[in-house]
Amino acid sequence: MDLVAGRSIAAERRPIRHLDPVLLLVALLLSLVGLVMVYSATHQSLVALDLDPYTFVKRQALALALGTAGVAVVATLDYRLAKVYAGLVYAGLALLLVLVQTPLGVTTAGAQRWFELAGFQLTPSEFMKVGLIVMLAAMLSEVRRDELGLEDVVRATIVAALPMLLVFVQPDVGTTIVLAAILVGILVVAGARLRHLGLLALSALLLLFAAFRVGAVKEYQLARITAYLDPRNAPAAALYNREQAEIAIGSGGLTGRGFLRGTQTNLDFVPEQHTDFIFTVVGEEFGFVGSVTVLALFALLIWRAVRVAFLSKDLFGTYVAAGIASMFALQMFVNIGMVVGIMPITGIPLPFVSYGGSSLLANFLAVGLLLNVHMRRFT
Amino acid sequence: MTEGRTSLRLKVLALLVVAMFAALSTRLWYLQVLAAERFRREAQNNSVRLMELPAPRGRILDRNGTELVDSRLSLVVTVNRQELGDDPEGVLLRLSELLGVKVRVLADRLEDPRYYSYQPVPIAEDVPKRAWYEIAEHPEDFPGVEVVPTPVRRYPYGTLAAHVLGHIGPIDEEQLAEPRFAGYDRDDVVGRSGVEAVYERYLQGREGIVKVLVNAAGEPIRRLGERRPVEGADLVLSLDLGIQRLAEESLATGMQRARGVLDTDTGRYLRAGAGALVVEDPDTGRILALASSPSFNPRIFQGGLTTEEAERLEAPRAHQPLFDRATQGAYPPGSTFKPFVALAAMRHGIAAPGGYYPCPPTYTVPGDASGTVFRNWTSADLGTMSLTEALTRSCDTVFYAFGYDFWQLLPPAVQDLQRPASPDEEVLQRELRRFGFGSRPRLDLPSAAGGLVPGGGWKFHTFQDDWERIDPFNRCIAYWCPGDYVNMAIGQGYTLVTPLQLAMAYSAIANGGRLCQPRVALRVQRPTGPDSADVVRTFRPRCPRIRGYTPEQFAFMRRALATVPVSGTAAFAFRGFPFDRVSVAGKTGTAEVPPHQDYSWFAAMVPAQDPEYVIVALVEEGGHGSTTAAPIVRNVIEGLYGLPRSGFVPGGVTD
Repeated sequence: MDLVAGRSIAAERRPIRHLDPVLLLVALLLSLVGLVMVYSATHQSLVALDLDPYTFVKRQALALALGTAGVAVVATLDYRLAKVYAGLVYAGLALLLVLVQTPLGVTTAGAQRWFELAGFQLTPSEFMKVGLIVMLAAMLSEVRRDELGLEDVVRATIVAALPMLLVFVQPDVGTTIVLAAILVGILVVAGARLRHLGLLALSALLLLFAAFRVGAVKEYQLARITAYLDPRNAPAAALYNREQAEIAIGSGGLTGRGFLRGTQTNLDFVPEQHTDFIFTVVGEEFGFVGSVTVLALFALLIWRAVRVAFLSKDLFGTYVAAGIASMFALQMFVNIGMVVGIMPITGIPLPFVSYGGSSLLANFLAVGLLLNVHMRRFT
Repeated sequence: MTEGRTSLRLKVLALLVVAMFAALSTRLWYLQVLAAERFRREAQNNSVRLMELPAPRGRILDRNGTELVDSRLSLVVTVNRQELGDDPEGVLLRLSELLGVKVRVLADRLEDPRYYSYQPVPIAEDVPKRAWYEIAEHPEDFPGVEVVPTPVRRYPYGTLAAHVLGHIGPIDEEQLAEPRFAGYDRDDVVGRSGVEAVYERYLQGREGIVKVLVNAAGEPIRRLGERRPVEGADLVLSLDLGIQRLAEESLATGMQRARGVLDTDTGRYLRAGAGALVVEDPDTGRILALASSPSFNPRIFQGGLTTEEAERLEAPRAHQPLFDRATQGAYPPGSTFKPFVALAAMRHGIAAPGGYYPCPPTYTVPGDASGTVFRNWTSADLGTMSLTEALTRSCDTVFYAFGYDFWQLLPPAVQDLQRPASPDEEVLQRELRRFGFGSRPRLDLPSAAGGLVPGGGWKFHTFQDDWERIDPFNRCIAYWCPGDYVNMAIGQGYTLVTPLQLAMAYSAIANGGRLCQPRVALRVQRPTGPDSADVVRTFRPRCPRIRGYTPEQFAFMRRALATVPVSGTAAFAFRGFPFDRVSVAGKTGTAEVPPHQDYSWFAAMVPAQDPEYVIVALVEEGGHGSTTAAPIVRNVIEGLYGLPRSGFVPGGVTD
């Protein structure tokens, strides 16, 4: 009996028994939604070009398979190992962010964001999001005080500022914002004082202002933001994206126009539709019902992430989970917000749904970390 | 488990996330539920384009199926000056290279004052398809430029039958408001005159519409629906190309010859600046040829008349070429009127086929104190003559007497100039109206004139004011007096007829007393093959009988008029004519239209006994009827029957 009981306790303690199936399932569901939407957004154009209509779907499916494998790997290893190697990972990713600026990186549309690897694009900034979370969590979990001091906040800010700067000059404003959100999210949970956070916000504003003055912010970025602030004076191109996205979403109505039936989607009216504007496909073809369903999936995802933060046995796990929750929440909000016209247009992908292998892979690594923390909450 | 404070902070974060979801859901509710209808419409507007497929206008054929007018599509480049953008010179330069037309020419056409600044100006026609594609593919290089497939009319015979065919032009504001143009667009082209206008509803096809799904670049993706264009139906005219040509050439040559003839009254050469000729089938009222000289080429109206062309048309020496003298020109009929006066006189016992009438050189109304003298056309006393002779030799004095006899049929109060007669009391006028005079013929061409059969009522209404002003004691200024009937009896005075009306009336004599509705259209049909067609509508002849006359009276009239070319007033003009092969009944007319030279008339029926053709010619300032009009008609008859051409021998001085 004892033996049985002992074995049962040992079994009880085996991490895999504490896997969060809801979290994994939601991530997979969102990815599947993404595959369907990517098909809807791309098949027409691909057929027109005489290409396989599944081209994008296949690549995304491959990334999904890799991501799932990544979850397995990350979940198997104890997340506390990550704390040990956090600095190394962070440094390595920072190096990649530097290298991507060299001729090794690929330039498209004036931005230098990824490496070309065996026909696949590797975007280091996507991985840096997770890398920064781990790095900040590792750093701040070592602070053994109830509240963070100014020096902790400054250190954390410096650690976040390096990749933010590297990403910003690519230029990639969206990812910069996500990195900033991760920083703020973890700082809040780690106990930064309100006035320190205020100071941080102030210096960020000053920096942003300075960046505008020296022209580090590109014109189109400015245009997109002013288009949001004052649609009447916006340049036509900046307005166009917004209008077409709103028409797509709005024309979906309550139940949508049906899969592959959206005219905005199928006739290329919405630009970048398989990536940043993927949510318009959901809105147009599946309507309010579909949109809210996807929102609900995100709510579930973020709730599970926050829950992991609560359940975590140690601060490192809590901070990692909080950072990941912040990352998902902010990306979800800014992306859908810009599509429905309540946020300015910034290039932020919708986690799991937008087309993009690096993003999907990084998100699954994050899910792996969450599962890991969850599984090992008793060990 | 996380300790207390961290847990609290996590809850703050969670609350923030809840707020995010609330914001997104609210916005989605607004977009997709509250405002969905508007966005649905916008999506529709975005992606569905309606493209018009022009329908070619129907052709106009002569009675044998020869194309007088046909249609084809021409690619026309239009430029909207308001949409040219900030580099109009650049656009014109690119257009110039593409079309192979000098920039200067394009710029000049763009300045066309006929178009408002918001209207697209056509600057090149018949451009190659390649140019169309180029412009369509690079709209950014050609702002405000469009290529419009426009149906254009082709007139293979130029000015031939121009007044019958008419012209087409852009629809105007007034027409757009008319119910019969319901469904027309502002940029539609419609018939503006001639049969083009009258048979518009058959000739105009119906535009097709293609509903196309387009992508963001405006490229068509697939057809959503289509309404095929319906080509306009073909109009077959009763005109015969050969006869029309013969008529126009005869008229033109005859007029030219007349200009070499001295007018005995004025001592100058005849001006003969304008004329008309009608060839009608007397049994059906169908018009075989309708010529009016001078003429015009309907092509000049294509795409709007240029100022230059408008000036040319309106110049005094152009003699108003757009005016259709055959149907719209009203002239005193002169002696061509006598047969109808004679018929009326026969009906009312004033004259009889076997009667004899004095033909003195002058006539004075019995009991006329003023002693006004009405002269015959010749000063010779021709003695007593039969009714036939009176017609053949066109004795005016015989008809003056008839005119006075009609006066005597008026009620005493009218004869005492107490009141104007009512139309019913005026016997001669009543009879003349039975032959179609004085009322607008129901012709299938626009604006046919009705001429004038004057009477007491008309005269009083017209001259009432002059009477008071000129001489209140002379009641004959405003009242119908014997002299008015005397004049009317020889087709002078206020009487006006159109060449078409005269042809209709002579047709009644020719067919034994039926007044046919004149028509230039035979039928409307849709071609089904090169030599076959489905008839959409046939226009049947309508020839109601003129009451009160016997066939014998008309036969008598034909016999009487058959002597005119043989031994009467047209004998000189018809000398040498093979009457044994084709008999001709006819009547000359010389209308006095002061201050002009005399207008020359000739009306003919061939063959005389059972006429196939009624031919009426009029030449303004062409002198005597036998001088100009009779030789023209003779030439037409020679052409119709394949007789040797005599070549326009002027017929000397007769009436």
